[in-house]
Amino acid sequence: MSSDSRLARLADVLVGYSGRVKSGELVLLEAPVIVEPLLNELYRAVLEAGAQPVTRIGLALGEVLLTEGNDDQVGWVNPARREDIERADVRIVVEATTNTKAMTSIDPARQALVERSRSALRDRYLERALSGELRWVLSAYPTNAAAQDAEMSLSEYEDFIYGAAFLDNGDPVARWREFAERLRARADFLAGKQELRIVAEDTDLTMAVGGRKWIAADGHENFPDGEVFTAPLETSVEGEIRFTFPAVFRGRQVDDVRLRFHEGEVVEATATHGQDFLEEMIGVDDGARRIGEFAFGLNEAVDVFTRNILFDEKLGGTVHLALGAAYPECGGTNRSALHWDMICDLRSGGEVFADGELIYEDGRFLNGT
Amino acid sequence: MRDPRVERLGELIVSYSLGLEPGQILRVDVPPVAAPLAAALYRAALAAGAHPYANVEPEQLSEILVKKGNDDQLAFLSPIAAAEIEFVQAIVTIWAEENTHALTRVPPERHQRLIASSRKLAKRRWERIAAGELSWCGVVFPTSAHAQDAEMSLEEYEHFVFRACHVQGTEDPVAHWNVVRDDLRRRADALSEVREMRIVGPDTDLRVGVEGRRWQPADGRYNMPDGEVYTSPLETVTEGEIRFTFPALFRGREVEDIRLRFEGGKIVGAQAARGLEFLEALLDVDEGARRLGEVAFGLNYEIDHFTNNTLFDEKIGGTMHVALGSSFEELGGENTSALHWDLVCDLREDGEVYADGELVWRAGHFLEQPEPARV
Repeated sequence: MSSDSRLARLADVLVGYSGRVKSGELVLLEAPVIVEPLLNELYRAVLEAGAQPVTRIGLALGEVLLTEGNDDQVGWVNPARREDIERADVRIVVEATTNTKAMTSIDPARQALVERSRSALRDRYLERALSGELRWVLSAYPTNAAAQDAEMSLSEYEDFIYGAAFLDNGDPVARWREFAERLRARADFLAGKQELRIVAEDTDLTMAVGGRKWIAADGHENFPDGEVFTAPLETSVEGEIRFTFPAVFRGRQVDDVRLRFHEGEVVEATATHGQDFLEEMIGVDDGARRIGEFAFGLNEAVDVFTRNILFDEKLGGTVHLALGAAYPECGGTNRSALHWDMICDLRSGGEVFADGELIYEDGRFLNGT
Repeated sequence: MRDPRVERLGELIVSYSLGLEPGQILRVDVPPVAAPLAAALYRAALAAGAHPYANVEPEQLSEILVKKGNDDQLAFLSPIAAAEIEFVQAIVTIWAEENTHALTRVPPERHQRLIASSRKLAKRRWERIAAGELSWCGVVFPTSAHAQDAEMSLEEYEHFVFRACHVQGTEDPVAHWNVVRDDLRRRADALSEVREMRIVGPDTDLRVGVEGRRWQPADGRYNMPDGEVYTSPLETVTEGEIRFTFPALFRGREVEDIRLRFEGGKIVGAQAARGLEFLEALLDVDEGARRLGEVAFGLNYEIDHFTNNTLFDEKIGGTMHVALGSSFEELGGENTSALHWDLVCDLREDGEVYADGELVWRAGHFLEQPEPARV
């Protein structure tokens, strides 16, 4: 695995392009231990940038904590994590697991407790990110577990990830810069709109977005990337939406989620599988019942659903919304310990109207938009 | 599949070595290869009501840092690590390597600088331990690399390590170590009354002054496995000669069959069958390197092999060891040196030790009743 030169290229792009790491900066590398081959490359790349790498590496002990710890222990926030968030100039976070379903039998109430106890950390890092003191990027490392969820072999999955990251050929940074231009043009177009209406099977949802900022996600905070997102007005969402893809959160899968909104709030939530978990999560706090994010997935190299939100939400031809915390840089004000992205496939028959005009059909923006 | 020996070792360290209390924060410093022991410690700490977390230290990162880092990067002290050392209340350091010679070829000067950069943290850790604010235990987790150094299979080596920690069988390891603690305490108290020790064995007849020095039991609190009693001898009275039949290791280098002659506490003659040059270089590190900083009895009789790992070798039941260089201030020692090099002398065949003229130890064991010295 360490002989895979794409790993070295991935590390170079994460450090140089996504993290924009500069000499003398403190760069926190966060990853589970199975990411060691990529971690070694990241460590090398940070040193070569003249910056200072520090690591926060996990041993997949979360399941032990949730099954064997008491509430006080489950809700404990490690002061070392507060130091991480306060001191780092850049956070590079790499996700990976050897079993995406290890948490399935955990009591949802305990996971809700974890989310609540971590929310202060999350707020603080979003605050530092907003003020420009902290840059962060989230990426993923290919494992058999992730490949299995994507119904691929590991080598097929590696090709998928590196393809989505533009690391398969050419100069990846040049390709990301070019893609970023197109995403920015799309964000500018959407910035002029007041109201969006999404129409698909069992879906007819309207929301106000006027005055909110659309952000082009171009590989700086997620990698790979490729979406434009905003925070809709908190009390404006009306109607219903059905998520044809399973909604996955912290290793738990909920199938065929349908939500009905009134005045911005979820008033009805159903699922064919995982209803308990869904209800527990939207009950985490008041903000968890409102939408914090709405976005268009625009990475055409992500063309299949893989049950990994980092990729799925970028799927070209989909939209997604997140229940819970809004990104303040969009102008969103919704606060929550939750941020759960759910994806709606619009590739066959979906439509989006902006201020009454059809702008998007069958997974693509119309010509001239 | 959980290894019950690893689970027992985790529980032993949490309850016996650290005495971890509810609400305390435990950091486990662990290389990835020792993840099973970290998980066992994590579970035991949760059961004790504490807040554990793992601090994973991948082995290759220090190699990358030594090879690629500039001077600033080598000297860097993480402000996060500096903050952590102030709030943790217990630390377990798991020693486990995937390759004990991974750093043998890196420039020693750069490696030294990397070690020096962490000295400030180590110093602060010892200050907090001494102040009773922090408990600490260092423990070995068996790996193929360590087994290879010991010339054993991994399975044999696991058996060896877990037996030495007394977690191999089904009996309660905490009860065992409580007995060891009491035994070693009594032994140390008795030795603290002694004025002069005389060690006699093949090519060995050494007199060491220990009057007024305190003997300390090493009973599994700071190291696991453990089992020795030690002190720092008087700096200027060691006389005679000693031969070390086990190879002496320092930073991955080996010196064989060392013989030393002392006069007035100072080494005046040094020989070795192999590695003499390295031996001489170490003796010349500074003034203190030629004097003894420690003398000790190895008393863990479950450690019965030489395994090329000082943590175990110095505890082999039936051996004595001395350390050249720095002594223990808290035991009354006054020798200072950058060196602290443990050399192990096997007394199991026909060694004898006299305390103020009385025979107290023969063939690797303390006698129940001391005997008068033979002439």
